Amino acid sequence: MKIAANIADRLDMGLIVLDNDMRIRVWNRWLEQHADTPSSQAMGKPLRELFAGHMDPRIMVVIREALDFGWPAKMSHALHPTPLPLFTRGNSNERIKQAIDITPMEQPDGKRMCLIQIRNVSEIARREQLLRQQARMLRTELEHLNAAQAELQRSELRFRELARQAPAGLFETDSVGRWTYLNDRCCQLAGLTHGKGLGDHWLNIVPEADRERILSSWLQARDSATRFAEEFKLYKSDGSYSWIRCDAGQLRDENGRVQGFIGTFTDITEFRERAMRNEFRANHDSLTLLCNRERFELKLRAAVSGAREIGNKLALLYIDLDGFKGLNDEYGHAAGDTALRSISSRLRRVMRNEDIIARLGGDEFAVLVTDYTDERMLASVMAKISQAVALPINIGPCHVRLGCSIGVSLYPDHAQDAAQLLSHADQAMYTNKRQRKESQQKNQQAAQAKPEQLSNVLPIRNTNS
Amino acid sequence: MMTFTELQLDALAETFNLSLGEAAATFSAIVHEEITLSVPTVEVLNREDLAQRLENMQRSETRDRLCGINQHFHAGNNFQTETLLLFPEQGSLEIVRRMLGDTTPIEQITELEQDALAEIGNIIINSCMSSLANLFGTEMIGTLPTVEANTARALLEQHSHDEVILVARIGMTMAAQNTSGFVLFIMDVPSIQTFMKQVERLFNIA
Repeated sequence: MKIAANIADRLDMGLIVLDNDMRIRVWNRWLEQHADTPSSQAMGKPLRELFAGHMDPRIMVVIREALDFGWPAKMSHALHPTPLPLFTRGNSNERIKQAIDITPMEQPDGKRMCLIQIRNVSEIARREQLLRQQARMLRTELEHLNAAQAELQRSELRFRELARQAPAGLFETDSVGRWTYLNDRCCQLAGLTHGKGLGDHWLNIVPEADRERILSSWLQARDSATRFAEEFKLYKSDGSYSWIRCDAGQLRDENGRVQGFIGTFTDITEFRERAMRNEFRANHDSLTLLCNRERFELKLRAAVSGAREIGNKLALLYIDLDGFKGLNDEYGHAAGDTALRSISSRLRRVMRNEDIIARLGGDEFAVLVTDYTDERMLASVMAKISQAVALPINIGPCHVRLGCSIGVSLYPDHAQDAAQLLSHADQAMYTNKRQRKESQQKNQQAAQAKPEQLSNVLPIRNTNS
Repeated sequence: MMTFTELQLDALAETFNLSLGEAAATFSAIVHEEITLSVPTVEVLNREDLAQRLENMQRSETRDRLCGINQHFHAGNNFQTETLLLFPEQGSLEIVRRMLGDTTPIEQITELEQDALAEIGNIIINSCMSSLANLFGTEMIGTLPTVEANTARALLEQHSHDEVILVARIGMTMAAQNTSGFVLFIMDVPSIQTFMKQVERLFNIA
């Protein structure tokens, strides 16, 4: 019995034995400490009296059942958190969380006793609460994660579809430059069948003539970690071509290593052609498609400085049509335009490709002969021009003839720069015009007796009008 | 194999029903919410039939484990029984969590939840035993409940090596949750003979 009492005192749980009258027969040390009642005070006392008014009523019910019917019972902490007024040592405010087992004990005398075991589950309860809290947090995080994942999936789908339908060609390559992704438009622009070409180097589509230039630009962008941008022509199987602009940037992994490239293909054919048209329009006379004055002056200046460097000679011819005003007045501006176009194309025909022909405005033209050699050559050029201008021009209802006055200035003989050359040629042209007028007047006086004198503008009826 | 007549089984069910009503009242008082235990159906089954029945029940549940609460009772020398209350693990866990007012899903049953389940099982088993004790006019002395979650066959394996098991099927409902369980009385041959004689005598139905 003494050993049993010893063991009971060493247990880390409360141990109470009640006799059939519910009087306390065993009250171990754990209870002395947590109920703040010494064994001497508890022994023999009815339990109800000791804990008067502070017990969960169910504990008395199950003790009674154990004593009367021999039924064991469990009182779990979950359903009865603190059935008895037991406290942590030194803290009389907070009850210990308990789990209680009640077991009937048969006695030799037939009178049943009842064993009450009380476990302190405060720590377990605390841990489980923590576990629950963590489970809740995990669940919330999981919900967020799921939501984020769903959103990511939606976004991924959205961008995939966007990329597929994008009007620009989109592509990705690996770090070497081999296609890893091409959208439909990129396949179309690159002339690749859908799904083909993956794994090939993207430069394979570039025409050989351009490949070296583009490759060196690509390598430079890759090595200097800058953006790549190049424009090139891609030929189709039918011989037509597109201008393509390719822009690309590097894709890096989290360590900053180049993983590959992502970029766009844009069809800039229309843009290119419009720019060329605009440039042509800015530099050319829209009626005759010859160089305009601004362009001519630019070319003249360039030619002067070129000639100056290599000691070449230049001849500038300033041409003004005779009788053009009369043609305009008599037959209208459309006829005048026809005449200008006609004369322009004749000038282009008689001059060499390297000579520069311009319409300076109105009925004034200029021709720059870039490799002037001698006067004989000049005379031949002037004769060709005069003849070309003087041929009859079909203006619809009739043919007309126009003449021209030509002024010449030579570099470096007459002037040292473009402006002076122009001004000198202009003056020479006027001098020429005046001389031509005076000689015409003399001719007219001499031929006064002849009434069918040729005028400057000579109409010849078209046979079919 | 020994059998009961239909009428005897009905009479047994009615006896259990009275006690289960008290158990339900006890629960309701503890958790301050209405808990009902349905009128039980009572059968005598051999072990294989029971195992089959339990496996079928499990199949309709999402988890394939049962929760078993076990107590041993004896009445003197001529009668002893293992009582085993079986619930689908998931259903019983949900009921326990609802009773405790915290439905946070945790994969495993916690120690305190298992304790609570033991108490619930204890109340149901004690109420059934009180019916039997009344019938026999004798005391049924029991042990504390133990809880184990396992497959039906594994749970039965530990106890029954006898042919016949008395099975009372009960349903348990709380709020929208309901689950149904089985109370098994697994007796040795002398015990079941005693038990049958008592039933024949008491109900006087041949």
